[in-house]
Amino acid sequence: MLLLKDIDEPGLNTLPVYEARGGYAALRKALEMTPADVLSELEASGLRGRGGAGFQMGKKVSFLPQGSMDKYLVCNADESEPGTFKDRELMQKNPHLLIEGIVIASYAAGADRSFIYIRGEYVLQADVLDAALAQAREAGYVGEQILGSDHSLSLVVHRGAGAYICGEETGLLDSLEGKRGNPRLKPPFPANQGLYQGPTLINNVETLSTVPAIMTMGAKQYAELGVQTSTGTKLVSISGHVQRPGNYEIELGIPAREIIYGLAGGPPVGSEIKCWFPGGSSAPVLTPDDLDVPYDFDSLAKAGSMLGSGAIIVVDDSTPIVELALKVAMFYRHESCGKCTPCREGTNWTVKMLQRIDSGEATPMDLDIMASVQDHIIGNCLCVLGDAMAMPIGSMIAKFRDEFEAHIEAARARAGLTLGSVPADEQALLAHGTS
Amino acid sequence: MPRPQTRTITLTIDGREVDAPENAMLVDAAKHGDVEIPVFCYEPKLGNPVGACRMCLVEIEGIGKLQTGCSTPVKDGMVVHTQTERVKEAQKSVVEFLLINHPLDCPVCDKGGECPLQDISFGWGGGISRFIEPKRHFVKPLELSPKIAIDRERCILCYRCVRFSQEISEDYQLVLLQRGAHSFVSTFDGHPYVAPFSGNIIELCPVGALTSRSYRFRARPWDIEDAGSVCTLCPAQCNVSLTVRDERVMRVLSREHSEVDDGWLCDRGRFAYPALAEGTGSNAGGDPTIEVREGNPAAGNGAVARGVRVGMRVSEPLLRDGGELRPVSWERALEEAAAGLKRAGAKTAALAGGGATNEEGFLLSRLMREALGSSDVDSRPGGALDLQLARELAAPSLQAKVSDLEFAHAVLVLDCEPIVDAPILDLRLRKGVRRHDMKLARASGDDLDALRDTARQLSQQGEELVILWGERFVAGRDGDERARALLDLAAELALGETDGAGLLEIPAASNGRGLRESGVLPNAGPGLSEPEAEGRDAPAIAAALAAGELSAVYLLEVDPLSASDPFAAGASADAGAGAAGNGTGAPAADSPWQDALERASTVVAHATLLSEGIAEHANVIFPAGSYAEKEGTVTHPDGRLQRVRQAVALAGSTRPGWQVIAELSQRLGVDLDVYNEKEASQQLFDAVSFYEGVTLEEIGGRGVRWQERVQAFATAGGGAGGTDSPAETPYSHGYTESAKADIQPTPSPAESEPNHQPYPSAQQHSGADTETHGADTDTEASDRDGPSSDPPGTEQRG
Repeated sequence: MLLLKDIDEPGLNTLPVYEARGGYAALRKALEMTPADVLSELEASGLRGRGGAGFQMGKKVSFLPQGSMDKYLVCNADESEPGTFKDRELMQKNPHLLIEGIVIASYAAGADRSFIYIRGEYVLQADVLDAALAQAREAGYVGEQILGSDHSLSLVVHRGAGAYICGEETGLLDSLEGKRGNPRLKPPFPANQGLYQGPTLINNVETLSTVPAIMTMGAKQYAELGVQTSTGTKLVSISGHVQRPGNYEIELGIPAREIIYGLAGGPPVGSEIKCWFPGGSSAPVLTPDDLDVPYDFDSLAKAGSMLGSGAIIVVDDSTPIVELALKVAMFYRHESCGKCTPCREGTNWTVKMLQRIDSGEATPMDLDIMASVQDHIIGNCLCVLGDAMAMPIGSMIAKFRDEFEAHIEAARARAGLTLGSVPADEQALLAHGTS
Repeated sequence: MPRPQTRTITLTIDGREVDAPENAMLVDAAKHGDVEIPVFCYEPKLGNPVGACRMCLVEIEGIGKLQTGCSTPVKDGMVVHTQTERVKEAQKSVVEFLLINHPLDCPVCDKGGECPLQDISFGWGGGISRFIEPKRHFVKPLELSPKIAIDRERCILCYRCVRFSQEISEDYQLVLLQRGAHSFVSTFDGHPYVAPFSGNIIELCPVGALTSRSYRFRARPWDIEDAGSVCTLCPAQCNVSLTVRDERVMRVLSREHSEVDDGWLCDRGRFAYPALAEGTGSNAGGDPTIEVREGNPAAGNGAVARGVRVGMRVSEPLLRDGGELRPVSWERALEEAAAGLKRAGAKTAALAGGGATNEEGFLLSRLMREALGSSDVDSRPGGALDLQLARELAAPSLQAKVSDLEFAHAVLVLDCEPIVDAPILDLRLRKGVRRHDMKLARASGDDLDALRDTARQLSQQGEELVILWGERFVAGRDGDERARALLDLAAELALGETDGAGLLEIPAASNGRGLRESGVLPNAGPGLSEPEAEGRDAPAIAAALAAGELSAVYLLEVDPLSASDPFAAGASADAGAGAAGNGTGAPAADSPWQDALERASTVVAHATLLSEGIAEHANVIFPAGSYAEKEGTVTHPDGRLQRVRQAVALAGSTRPGWQVIAELSQRLGVDLDVYNEKEASQQLFDAVSFYEGVTLEEIGGRGVRWQERVQAFATAGGGAGGTDSPAETPYSHGYTESAKADIQPTPSPAESEPNHQPYPSAQQHSGADTETHGADTDTEASDRDGPSSDPPGTEQRG
């Protein structure tokens, strides 16, 4: 265990305890190296971003232009993906680990200003971070000429106002600049033009918290953990219908079954898993057939889903799939910023169709419409929020079509609207647009 | 600052090779190959693309996802597909998405028929909607401002209006509130969106969400015709397109010209037209800046009963009869005016301003100089500027263009307030600062040392420095001294030798530059030539009228007692009342013009609207056409000759200005030899040395900068900073044979008359003998001999 090593140590959030456990040694080690060496360590570790996209962290750092200019490092602590709560625990219990990671990463990236953008709901965690930051500053781990080196870094904890879209990196930057949190058009990517138009490195809390471990144990040793394209360990937040929900640190590449059944104890006695989200609610759902897929970035992608933020949500057979779909769709409709058309209108339309299905006003043809709407959203939006709804909903329709159809029939029957009872002309109306 | 250089590259669109400028956005590049990629949110004028509407999705080989054509710069060898099933499917779906919450109320929507959403739905949409759920609803229509109505149900959230407010006019008022499908455009706290350029969002809106309250339900696109013209409400002279229905101008739209207005209009230009066309009293949507006052203190009950009142549109001749203004026949009005002017003779003065065209100014100056023998004509409210200085200030090499304001390293705003004096230039300056990191400073003529310091500091930013200066900088007693200082500064900073640097003057009057170049100056003839005789400038005219030395005054679209007239502000500036804004300063209560008009025995005026001073003092008022009713040319502050085109019939019995002046001249015994607009223009082009060879066709819809036409001889003759000898400047340039041949393709019949009078344009004389003509002044113009020393090849008209 790297990240959760001392997680339950009382007082780990205070500097003396953290230092007693070997804290900030990695920083001292890094500051003795050149930034280029630190960067090559990060690259060699194969560490992939833990926020959702899984982009190689070292590569991201190397994209930042060289030369003297204002460069920024932003820690994305807007942990807003439903089902994800790993960063919360890290920040609450081990804030110095994150601070140490930020200072090391900023050293490698040549950034001298950094921000932690933390979601507004994390009041306790933000307070803990503020307190830890004050201690770190006083001890000289953050500020001018850190530990006598010529690396300086300012670090500010900025609280968001609670919007899913502000977890999207460019939306986060706009919000941090004081604007409406709308995603920006890419390119330019934040590495070239990010915060205040300056080169910006944006990483997730877990990614940055992993950096000290890499410095301590060395990239080579870290890369031996996990599998070839997914190195290291990963925090997994398991929730839903399992007996022992919570955060677990696993080595990437172990079978999902081991996590869900082994660590989390499987579904409650007497129920079966219907489907599971492997990486937050925006990941396409997988079925029990997929439980033996190795839990790493590429294997999950191959299985038609994604590792995402590493939040496994287990859904058992007591949950109607339509209700699940509606819950997911309503979340994304509520969180869509409204900037681009397919996401704004598509999420809205999908919710309305699901509500119709639930209230018995739909026909099986509406399923085709709904599926094609998801197809029209995926890949056509400004940012990935639209896809974040369309992918799980699309996968649910594809994998549970029978249940959707049964639900439609049952709901129609409840509403007294079996197809036979509808006059012929109204049938035509219901089929409108699908001919 | 270097203008962006463009290299041409070749890309393939739908299997066709297309040459396009490198890094142009794909939707623009596609146009080079006649391929249309539909867009809603993309509008290059608004700056960087936002990629919000997703309408322009296309397939680019080598990139997995569909890409937005609006934000993809083209590269050499790029292969693009816009007609594949995948692209069509995506575009169809975006149209379907957009129409989900659109009310589809086209039959009652003002935009219907000229609506990009309609066009694109028709061209790229699927024809039917699969959406059967209830649509989103908003209260509608709402007032976004007194000028603009907003229908939020129709809005497709393309962000154009918000971006305009945030990034173009920088009034930062419009925002999107709420999120997702509940988003709507509003001001943050719901206050009315009142801003100097707010009307542009109506034109930007690709659907019927933002509509003009004055145009709502007044016409459908198939009822109307478009007529291009130039707005003459301020010196910016924006290019406009007038929407005409049944001989009435219903609205004013921008006719984009990157060298003039950049495609924007100010709210005054956009919304003031009805007041101009119909008078302020009869139209509620009129310009609130023009005061509506019922009744005329100077007019008796009879006049009021006939509807003669301040603020009304003058559409028939008015004559003061027994103290009251009464509508009379043209014959009566012309007769009275001619009689009054004849009585005064050389004791007549004239002022021109407002929307007077070059031709009207030119003919007025001929009327004064030839028929009345008076040189007391002026178009500068603040008094005359030494002719040599005026020429140097107008030297072609020193003239900055409007686009230079955008690309210069620095701009110094000197004694002018762009947002008031020429609003559209304010947007240009903002664009320069925002997009090209241009540095901006302002200075006042009151402290020349500070001015010099500021200019020198600014020049540190780079050699391209533009000084944008207002006419009031050289108004008043110190005018010559200040002009000299400005010229010295320009020479010191080498503004004349640097491309993209220079001076740009905002004249006080809309066509100030044109009127001066047409000869409406007491100390210069047409083309800033040496005058036959020097006359009084505007302040001197006021004084002379008050003192009884002059007895008549001809006011061509001028009312020196009207608060909005530059002559009113000029008078107060000259009286030392401080630098009042052009057109904004109220006339001082003791304005010298009060006395002047009081004492004048004859006041003849051309007016579009009946303003206070004219209503009180004019003896004869001729109706003047609005700019939508006129034909003629005007000259932009940067020297661009532009055509004002007649879009609608002249109001009431109004006659064209040139015709009235010519008729008066005839009655005073001098035939100006002008029988239509074209002849008036031709006479002007012949008389002004640097307009020579220009034709109306060449000016066309985009205008012609005379400095660019005459550059060849300007660089050879008139240098930067001016030269001492007028003979070397373009102002004394004689005709060349070839140019002359171009000018007169069809000689008018009058030309064969042996005793036909040439108009006295001193540039017909060679530079050497201009001085001798100064003394050769004769009040009887008809006795004047034709010039004897014309350059060889000049056509003798006398």
